[in-house]
Amino acid sequence: MIEKTNLAQGATTAMLRVENLSHRVDLGNDTLTILQGVNLEIKRSESVAIVGRSGSGKTTLLGLLAGLDTPTEGVVHLDGARISELSEDKRAQLRAQRVGFVFQSFQLLPALTALENVMLPLELGGHKEPAARARELLSRVGLGERLTHTPRQLSGGEQQRVAIARAFAADPIVLFADEPTGNLDNHTGQAISDLLMTLNREQGTTLVMVTHDELLAARCERQFHIEAGVLTEPASLQRAQEEPVQ
Amino acid sequence: MNGASQKLSSVRRDWRERDVRVVLAALIIAVATVATIALFANQLQHTLVSSASSFLAADRQLEAENGRPVPTEWRAEARSRGLQTARMVQFSTMVFGGEQFQLVSVKAVDDDYPLRGEIEFQPALGAPRTMTSGGPAPGEVWLNPRLLKLLEVEVGDTIDVGERTLEVSGLLIREPDGGFNMTALAPRIMMHHEDVAATGVIQDGSRVEYVNLFAGDEPALERFYSWLEPRLEPGHEWESIRDGEALSESLARAERFLLLGGSLAVLLAAVAVAVASRQYAIGQRDTVALLKTLGVSSRAIGKLYLSRLALWGLVGIIGGLVVALPLFWMLANLVSEALDRAVDIHFDVSALTPAVLTAVVSLFAFAYPPIRRLRDVPAMRVLRSQPGEAGTRAWLDVLIAVIAVFGLVYLYAREVSLVLALLGGLAALMGTLALLGWGLVSSLKHMSGGGNAWRLALIGLYRHRRASMSQIAVFAMTLMLATTLILVRSSLLADWQAQLPESTPNHFLINIAPEAVDDVRAFLEARDLPLDTLYPMVRGRLTEINDQPVRQAVSKDAKVNALNRELNLTWMDDLPADNRIVDGQWFEEDQTQGVSIESELADKLGVKVGDTLTFTIGSDQVSEPITSIRTVQWDSMKPNFYMAFPPGGGLEGMPATWITSFYLEGDEKSDLNSFARQFPTISVLELDHIIERIQSIVKQVAQAIEAILALILAAALVVMAAVVSATLQDRQREGALLRTLGGRRSLLVRSTMLEFALLGLFAGILGVVAAEAAVWALQYRMFEGEFRWHWNLVIPVPLISAMVLALLGRSQLKPVLNVSPMLLLRRLE
Repeated sequence: MIEKTNLAQGATTAMLRVENLSHRVDLGNDTLTILQGVNLEIKRSESVAIVGRSGSGKTTLLGLLAGLDTPTEGVVHLDGARISELSEDKRAQLRAQRVGFVFQSFQLLPALTALENVMLPLELGGHKEPAARARELLSRVGLGERLTHTPRQLSGGEQQRVAIARAFAADPIVLFADEPTGNLDNHTGQAISDLLMTLNREQGTTLVMVTHDELLAARCERQFHIEAGVLTEPASLQRAQEEPVQ
Repeated sequence: MNGASQKLSSVRRDWRERDVRVVLAALIIAVATVATIALFANQLQHTLVSSASSFLAADRQLEAENGRPVPTEWRAEARSRGLQTARMVQFSTMVFGGEQFQLVSVKAVDDDYPLRGEIEFQPALGAPRTMTSGGPAPGEVWLNPRLLKLLEVEVGDTIDVGERTLEVSGLLIREPDGGFNMTALAPRIMMHHEDVAATGVIQDGSRVEYVNLFAGDEPALERFYSWLEPRLEPGHEWESIRDGEALSESLARAERFLLLGGSLAVLLAAVAVAVASRQYAIGQRDTVALLKTLGVSSRAIGKLYLSRLALWGLVGIIGGLVVALPLFWMLANLVSEALDRAVDIHFDVSALTPAVLTAVVSLFAFAYPPIRRLRDVPAMRVLRSQPGEAGTRAWLDVLIAVIAVFGLVYLYAREVSLVLALLGGLAALMGTLALLGWGLVSSLKHMSGGGNAWRLALIGLYRHRRASMSQIAVFAMTLMLATTLILVRSSLLADWQAQLPESTPNHFLINIAPEAVDDVRAFLEARDLPLDTLYPMVRGRLTEINDQPVRQAVSKDAKVNALNRELNLTWMDDLPADNRIVDGQWFEEDQTQGVSIESELADKLGVKVGDTLTFTIGSDQVSEPITSIRTVQWDSMKPNFYMAFPPGGGLEGMPATWITSFYLEGDEKSDLNSFARQFPTISVLELDHIIERIQSIVKQVAQAIEAILALILAAALVVMAAVVSATLQDRQREGALLRTLGGRRSLLVRSTMLEFALLGLFAGILGVVAAEAAVWALQYRMFEGEFRWHWNLVIPVPLISAMVLALLGRSQLKPVLNVSPMLLLRRLE
């Protein structure tokens, strides 16, 4: 186990650093370039949004940043580790200890109850009292009374709250969110993003969010745009980091 | 990490997943079916061996037909080897009761008789019958009830057997070894062995049969026989249960049927587990991707699923046994009812091995491969499904699975021909399926949408062609297995019915002198008793094969009982209806040369058409070439012969008596008394009790077979339901979409039912064709019947399968029809 404290070597250390990242997919007789020459640096506890249209490559970028996949070219450093060069199992270990996820489609295990879903990362991490911690988190997200419900018995918004509780369960230092409100109506989406931002601030987690929702993106400290696999950081949006949106 | 794996694979969590429930149900049914059948087959074997043993009143009999008692040191040797022994003497003599006298067949038994089975006894006419485990005491005699009238005596009177006077102390209803024995003459009396000497009946040269009985465990009996064999003389005959007893053939077939049933259960289980676990694996991909995202390594995932499989195996085995044991107990009781006596439950733990192996092999050969591949699911799948995931080396898995499961069937049934027949049936099925698939694709390719149910159904079949094909394959396989079993069972039952029909001859007339033949015929015709053919019978010994003494010509290892005794030789014009020529030709009209030999004996002797056989009949020798080899229905309860000569052939002029059999109803028994008075020298052999007993056993075994068939059909239905429900979600989503897009409920119902009906129809046709192929292969090798096309199943099976599947399809739509499409779509997300 790599101790988290070892990794916080001074304030200048980037939580995520991407160097010249490219990703291509082989389609047999053709090659599809999804990402091209991406460079990016995200500081500890920073919240960052990556905004782009469908098919722009933003989800692929998120997957590579989180170490779910490895790039065709380039290097990804996560909390000091070159995760793009680690084996699948080493990356898994890293994710277990430092990374949390929130997905557009929630990704709860249908056979498990809300409580069991939240307990899952705690059990995997060898937490001593996973049930107590999971209960506490579910109360935090307002589902203290729904512990034994399975995902089917919960609304979309409730499912996403369970997913957020799960994401924060193992005290990640970086949280990746893929269109967290993409499957929810405006009102519920607003509530979920509030919850996500609040928890994120309280825990001091680094947040990397992919979205096509400019308003949600505006709640992050920095925004990047991605189009046809090329990442840019528009100057016009940089002011947003000075005045957090409530 | 370990703790987490354990928690993840808890049965409680698994049970919430539908696919796991299907896998577990398939496993439980498989283990239950295989275990029940194996236990029952074992029980049957045990019961029948003990029941058949009681046909000998022992496990083995040593008969001496040479007029000399069996040496006493042989019995001592047997006892020193831990075997039980008993003695009896059989002979015919006149007995006197007051004014009347009658030729009887005497059986004198010692205190240890019978070693197996019981004697049915009646203390007096009209008194209740009881079973007893010993014969009459010294000084007493038990009579066949018919003799009371013939001798004009009552229970309590005395009769004279030779010089000894014995008190009639009861009636002999049935002796356990009252089997088919040509030397048994006249009505039976039973007395004590000790009284034989005092009768003075047995003189040098008297025709007496000394019999020693042996019982004990099988290896000890075998070892004793090895010791005994070199000491046996001509005229000594060692008899074991399986030699030509009427029951054994029928029961051997019943056992084989059970084996077949068990093998099919194994196959069905494998199919069910394969289908359900594949479905499960597909459903688990998202979970695996999520677990990887949460940091679980591929190895840990591999381990996690392996431990799940092991857990399922355990649950399947325990659950299966919990179901199997009461079922087995029920079937065993059925047999006990049939035999009209308490059957000790023979619970053989080793019989459970195939059941346990079935669970283990189905899981590891069929469920493991798709589940193992879960390790390779990319974590990136949580964000979006990845290209190339569907690509598998499935054919290798299938090959391994097929080898494993057929290996299992072989281990189980130990019949290469069974495995080959089933493989052949499956190959026929797959071949036809490939053709059908090609036809389906090419004929439906140009079909385009429309609002009509038929078009929707056909388009549905085409668009899901991969799924349709694999569903048809599984349905067809299931139907093939079930149909095969139904066909074999029907032919088995028909064979039994044919073999011992209602009016099976149950009395034999033996020792009919040539001049009495016409009178006997007239007597029976006058009473409207159907008479079988009358056969002449000449007793002779086979002494030479191709001019070489048989003892040299036939290897010593071949235990040929027929060489140890006189054979009944006959001549006949026509081949008996139930005999079949397997080599050579039956006698032409006017042919006087040649002999026809029974095929099994021919095999044992190693003789073929053209070889010359020499028989010693009295002081004469007869040599004839073998002109035909024929099969004989030993269990037909008709006179059967190893050797048949043409009329006017080698047996011409030899001293013959005649033999025939006829059917007599229970209430016509008094006719036997008139017969005995008119023909005092003709022996009547009463087999009605034995035949009734066989018929009742066969009936109960048939019932057990029906029960097992029902079990297997239930298993087949579970497989089909598993396959149908495998596509449940897709179907429901499509149904919801169709309704959202404005499809009427009735259209949805009709098109879905039609689609499934078509699937069922195709599968039914394929299944029946494959079953016919398998039965064709099985029939001859295993059940020795003639093959014919079974129209009574060819038409209904596809129709029933179409109907059942249409209904199964309809039942899946239920949630789609009763819920608003919006709710449904949300639920299915």
